[in-house]
Amino acid sequence: MDPFDRELRERAKREPFPIPGDYARRVADTCAALPEDAPAGGRRFPRSVTRALAGIAAALAVCIAVPNVSPAAAAALADIPVLGALVEIVTFREYRYDDGAHAAQLRVPELSGGDAAESVSGEVRAYADQLLEQFRSDCAAAGQDPLSLDVTAAVVTDTDSWFTLRIDATRTQAGGHETTRFYHIDKAAGAAVTLKDLFREDADYVSALSAEVLRQMNALLAEDPEAGYFPELFTAIDPEQSFCWDEDGDLVLVFDEYTVAAGSLGMVEFTIPGEVYAALLR
Amino acid sequence: MNTPPLMDKEIFCQQVIASQDAMFRTARAILRSREDAEDAVQEAICAAYASRGSLRDPARFRPWLLRILANQCYDLYRRRRPVVDLTEVQDFLAAPAADQTERLALWQAVLRLSDDLRAAVTLFYYEDMTVREISGILGISEAAVKTRLSRGRARLRELLNEE
Repeated sequence: MDPFDRELRERAKREPFPIPGDYARRVADTCAALPEDAPAGGRRFPRSVTRALAGIAAALAVCIAVPNVSPAAAAALADIPVLGALVEIVTFREYRYDDGAHAAQLRVPELSGGDAAESVSGEVRAYADQLLEQFRSDCAAAGQDPLSLDVTAAVVTDTDSWFTLRIDATRTQAGGHETTRFYHIDKAAGAAVTLKDLFREDADYVSALSAEVLRQMNALLAEDPEAGYFPELFTAIDPEQSFCWDEDGDLVLVFDEYTVAAGSLGMVEFTIPGEVYAALLR
Repeated sequence: MNTPPLMDKEIFCQQVIASQDAMFRTARAILRSREDAEDAVQEAICAAYASRGSLRDPARFRPWLLRILANQCYDLYRRRRPVVDLTEVQDFLAAPAADQTERLALWQAVLRLSDDLRAAVTLFYYEDMTVREISGILGISEAAVKTRLSRGRARLRELLNEE
């Protein structure tokens, strides 16, 4: 090898190279977000099963988190579909603050792909603004006591006909408090969807789902009296309770920390059997 | 013909993490922005995972991964308008006058090479890739790799001897 080549190779190994500080974490996050059972051979990761749900194809693969991704990587992981409206993450809105005692980190996506995507984007923006406003107010009240807010987003479902974006907010002051919001788009209908949109207008889905949640809480307490649920404080679900679909396409109701159970349980989820609500669907 | 077993996620991720610096250097040599380089790495990881069934020899993981990365970089390069992020410009500028007596770092010199030379030079000197491997990664002939290395070496000699 030419002496100059040798010198260059030695210098390449010896001299420090400017790797960005958060790069390794970003690689690790990307690796962590890869699905366990992604198919190989050039096909991306669609794992969808349509389910007769009043014309709405329920999505599975809930909890395929896609943290901190570039829009194209998000699309690759979520397998942006060819049917229905195309919902895309076009950019991220970011906010960082750190004064030594108080820190906030927020990263939420902006969506495009039609009125529903724009509508969801607006809702996410408003929610982010609300969280930041609350954070600023809390900082003023906290003085020099430590306080932090961490807001992250993940595309948890993206199939031919359904898109779900999840926003998690964790506020930490002495203890932690987690909240989550799901934003759904029925791509086939081109509409943003909340829980009430799944059901007929005359259907008393609130009572039916609330009764099932209460039944499950009591069953869990019967098995373990220390389970930590608060059935005595639970009256009914919110008509627009957070929800998602599990891997079997079943409806899952999600409750923020402390709302129906002890904080040690974190956010609580109840999977609702289809027979509880099937007759009420649109 | 036997199909090799599909690499599982844990091993795939271990290999990616072992190659992460090489990935960043390669992407940064092709793209003129750190942010774009990080995006390309991320997209390459996703693309590589989805097509890992095409990896015939696990011992060749790194060149295989870098080839996918190079393709992602070229795609990104084409999508980007030819605008340089102002925060990145300093990498391409001459060192300030006060530093003229200091030795130019190799990476600073590499970044001053023309676009077509940087990737070949980076893969050869930083990643110890052979001409054949570089040819496969960049999708150019071995003769073209040799030409780029020759031109890159000559230019580096000038830049590093200028100090």
